[in-house]
Amino acid sequence: MAKDDRYLDPTDSVAVPRKTAPRPPSLDGKVVTLLDISKAKGDHLLDRLEELLRERAKPKAILRRKKPTFARPAPDDLRRQILKESDVVVEALAD
Amino acid sequence: MPRTTRRSSGPESQADAIEELYARGVTDGLPVVPPTLRRVEQAIAASGREADDLIALVPPNYGRATVEKIAVNAVMAGCRPEYLSVVIAGVEAMCDEAFDLHGVSATTNFSSPLFIINGPIRKRLDVNSGVGVFGPGWRANATIGRALRLIAVNLGGARPGIISMSTMGHPGRYTYCIGENEEENPWEPLHVEHGFQLSESTVAAFAGEAPHGIYDHKSRTAKDLLTTIARSLEVIWHHKATALGDTLVVLSPEHARTIAGDGWSKKDIQRFLWELLQKPVKDLLPGRDGGEGLPEAVLTRFQHPETDETLVPKFRAPEHLKILVAGGTAGRFSAVIPGWTFPNGSNLVVKKVRIRE
Repeated sequence: MAKDDRYLDPTDSVAVPRKTAPRPPSLDGKVVTLLDISKAKGDHLLDRLEELLRERAKPKAILRRKKPTFARPAPDDLRRQILKESDVVVEALAD
Repeated sequence: MPRTTRRSSGPESQADAIEELYARGVTDGLPVVPPTLRRVEQAIAASGREADDLIALVPPNYGRATVEKIAVNAVMAGCRPEYLSVVIAGVEAMCDEAFDLHGVSATTNFSSPLFIINGPIRKRLDVNSGVGVFGPGWRANATIGRALRLIAVNLGGARPGIISMSTMGHPGRYTYCIGENEEENPWEPLHVEHGFQLSESTVAAFAGEAPHGIYDHKSRTAKDLLTTIARSLEVIWHHKATALGDTLVVLSPEHARTIAGDGWSKKDIQRFLWELLQKPVKDLLPGRDGGEGLPEAVLTRFQHPETDETLVPKFRAPEHLKILVAGGTAGRFSAVIPGWTFPNGSNLVVKKVRIRE
């Protein structure tokens, strides 16, 4: 018997870690969403990030969105909205 | 000298299996029982369920917890086949939306699911609810809790340092499972409080830190004893934390008897603790007596917070103080288990154990 068949697999082969999306070569002309996960002071980090993006790139637009709580996944509606309206998402938290 | 231990190839091949399973990254670091087809089939048969029955998708990776996958992990944890029905109910409890396993498994916080078993199944499976209740020595407690942790890792993806980012971790992440000592409980047990029959068996999931000991050898009235407990609860999270939710107060049989002896109900206990656990705004300011304190959004409601006497409760409502009786019959010690419990955090969830007829 093959070595791997001696014991049953305790994992689910479908639930593999997700890969990161390909990075765009430039942010110029892109719609960038800055997603606050609702942890304290996340806005401090994202405010600064927005400043730097406006200074160093030419995005078409910068949108600010917020998860209702950091403790749970983003609601489906919010995910759909972000997917529809943006090319790039930056998700950030601070504590 | 003749050898005193006979040599055989058996133990050696078992050791190889232990190494191989560890190398696959599917264990908690301790040796596991190799999940052979025969062992897994025995566990599935004992549950009376079909191997492919889907019990839940396990957050945050949403692996499919079929009866078979649950059985594989239960065998690895060392469960006897008849424990499987309890493990299945535990999976249902921790995968319930209200428990928020997604957050519990990924957070930098401490918490780990604690499983509390109620009802007649405790006696049938020899689940410990008495002396040394949070400690080792009982196979059912040790392996049911461990099986549920292996499921959270192998099907949910809660691998430490990859998805599970808990700064400190928690010894209960090896196993964390107790029975309620219903025989020594002067009030209705947890499952009856949550709408189940006394004759039913249940598993509750609660996202908790480690148990914190409360010592009170001298109080002989409900009021004195509960004042000690309330003052000990003050420091949960930190001494100015507010808006907390589900938190366990595990009373020892001796403490429970003192309180019930004065005619107090569970509701009386909850109300008394909740009321005592309020502090005036002026004592909850960030930067005074430590950098922590009321959030800005709350502070803005008060014009002069530095002198404001308005009382702010530590717990959102009295019902969040969950009262449980467990532990040995000797010793005036109780335990408090802080939860992962801010608004939108984790709530205690109780599920019925479905036993094969």
